[in-house]
Amino acid sequence: MTQALDTLRNEIRDWLVSNAPSDWRISASTHEAFVAQQRAWFAKLVEAGFAIPHWPDRWPGGGRSLAAQKVIYEELARADAPRLLLTFVSTYHAFATLQECGSAAQQARYLPAILDGEVWCQGFSEPNAGSDLAAIKTRAWRESRPGGDVYVVEGQKVWSTMAQYADRCLLLVRTSSEGARQAGLTYLLMDMKSPGVSVRPIHQIQGDEEFAEIFLDKVEIPLTERVGDEGAGWAVAQATLASERGLTLMELAYRMRGSMFRIANQVRAAGLADDAGIQRELGRVACDVDAVCALADAFLAKRMDGREAAGDASVVKNAYSRALRSWSDLGLRVAGLAAQYREPITYGELNSGNWMADFMNSYAWTIAGGSEEIQRNIIAERMLGMPREPKEWQL
Amino acid sequence: MIALDELRDAAAKAFPSGRLTPPRTEGWETIIEMGWLGIELAERDGGLELGREASAAVHYEAGRSLASAPLAVALASLKAVAASPMLADRANWIERLTTGGFVSQPLFPHSVKLANDGMLSGTVSGVPEADMASHVLLQTEGRCDLVPLGDGAVTVIERTTWDPSRKFFDVHLDRYALNPDLVVALDEDALKIREMLSDSLLMAVAADSLGGANAVFTMTVDYLKTRHQFGRPLALFQALKHRVADLKVRLEAADALYWARAKDSSNLTEIGGLKALCSRAYRDVVEEAIQLHGGIGLTGEYPCHLFFKRAMLNCQIGGDADQWDGQVGRELLAL
Repeated sequence: MTQALDTLRNEIRDWLVSNAPSDWRISASTHEAFVAQQRAWFAKLVEAGFAIPHWPDRWPGGGRSLAAQKVIYEELARADAPRLLLTFVSTYHAFATLQECGSAAQQARYLPAILDGEVWCQGFSEPNAGSDLAAIKTRAWRESRPGGDVYVVEGQKVWSTMAQYADRCLLLVRTSSEGARQAGLTYLLMDMKSPGVSVRPIHQIQGDEEFAEIFLDKVEIPLTERVGDEGAGWAVAQATLASERGLTLMELAYRMRGSMFRIANQVRAAGLADDAGIQRELGRVACDVDAVCALADAFLAKRMDGREAAGDASVVKNAYSRALRSWSDLGLRVAGLAAQYREPITYGELNSGNWMADFMNSYAWTIAGGSEEIQRNIIAERMLGMPREPKEWQL
Repeated sequence: MIALDELRDAAAKAFPSGRLTPPRTEGWETIIEMGWLGIELAERDGGLELGREASAAVHYEAGRSLASAPLAVALASLKAVAASPMLADRANWIERLTTGGFVSQPLFPHSVKLANDGMLSGTVSGVPEADMASHVLLQTEGRCDLVPLGDGAVTVIERTTWDPSRKFFDVHLDRYALNPDLVVALDEDALKIREMLSDSLLMAVAADSLGGANAVFTMTVDYLKTRHQFGRPLALFQALKHRVADLKVRLEAADALYWARAKDSSNLTEIGGLKALCSRAYRDVVEEAIQLHGGIGLTGEYPCHLFFKRAMLNCQIGGDADQWDGQVGRELLAL
């Protein structure tokens, strides 16, 4: 077992030496260049069998254990190769949803296309349904058409990662407003080229456009594109959200540890290497970052043994996002005025050493994917057994 | 080979968390009975040879119950004796220290100097449980010796610490003549032993801190669930939930780093950084524990203050967080 993992480690390490792009930080200075680079890197990883280690073994490079998947991400981080952002929703969220809840026809149609580079986005959050996802208002109703019945969808989605480049969308809509809020949701697969779909990138404070808004104006989606039953959307959405547990945070934590040298360089550049206060702060951040790496490792080990408990994932996420904030904050303070001059950003990078950009981007991790506050609730209520908030409130 | 889980269970039984601050003699007897003094000792010396994960499991449980038996110091002294290349009667010393004999050692830097005529003089502060020790293991420049506390040139004075779970002593040496039979190591060997002892003590204090932090954390969460104000349990207030959740994240991260470093061959700076992280987590958790308990947390009848005082002392033992964080930072900058 360990030997097989060592073999895999050597295999991917060797492969990365000759295949990992080294100039990606510089060349990803426009969003278009970044996207082109992401597509090329994904194609390369697919060909080498390292892009979808979590898929079943009938797929090229699939059927790998969680331990083997971990090895792959450790090595990608170690080689400082670009992270796969553009195809993340396709290979994890779309895959898991189709694999667990999709029909045979949907699987046959969509899964191979993902390996060919088809990009998916996720249409869950809405302007008034963020942390409270069950509050979704985007409506869908059935209408008859000569070619077969369709759902007509009207509403707005927001915070869709890379939706401006997506071919398809995992869409959660409301088909009923009766009964429990969750019971009125339905899960659809939407072609982003359908008439009535318009996408507007969101300009983030650091200049990236990692997310977009999706406006849906009477978009027609065939009934055959529904995943699960009508009204079962909430359950299907859980499959989507549970698709990636821990590997990303481990990879990100390792990348942050691998980027400690950026703060050290900045400290030397600022002439502060002998400053006792800065030395301490650097040491403290380094220990915190090491602890997050150990925590991510421990979480994956728990998962491998089937010991994962409610709240474990929330603990890792909050530990990571806080450490990332401290990491970028220290670099920012040490860099002083230099960091206040606006330099081009590296798209999709969290540990670039462009300190204002990194610091601003660190907020994406305390807010996106279930905010820090939601994770705290989960930890307190599900892990520590503190009572849940009453559902009803009145003044 | 005893599984780590079994050892943990045994330690949890020996130091039940429901019974805080067990009397020192009782804890010490349990430790001797369980054979824990030989936990890391090599099998050829009659030990269990279980490594530092195993001793960590015991220190962790001892920390949970605020145990006062000086296991960490005893293990470190035994290690020094076992590693000694020159101690006369080494085998006898090992036998003695695995069956209840106790050698203490200073946990802080001291000012003892070796004069040209071979006499040691000076004061060693922060020698734990010296009242039950026959000797103190003293590291001075380039050497490591056992100093008998009954010697006429040695005076032992108790210093009361805020932490009631430990007893500290000052040891004064006034022209103590070194005994060649009690030399543990010289020069390079002494340096090696010094590093080994630091590693052992830092790991022990870090584990003790995590055990204590987890115990006082659990106590606090239970209290919030039980205590009612405004017609509802305090645990229902989100402001308090979030503070508790943040502490949980700190504890889990420290725990993960601890077991990772206990497993691999981390260097002394990494262990020091770990100790800084764990003792700081202990301190922060226990400060919040008092605040979240409210008035009762400030009373002597309630055990919060016992954890609080032990955490504060743990922060100092083996070098504080400022010292170790700085060291970690300097090494990073030197790369």
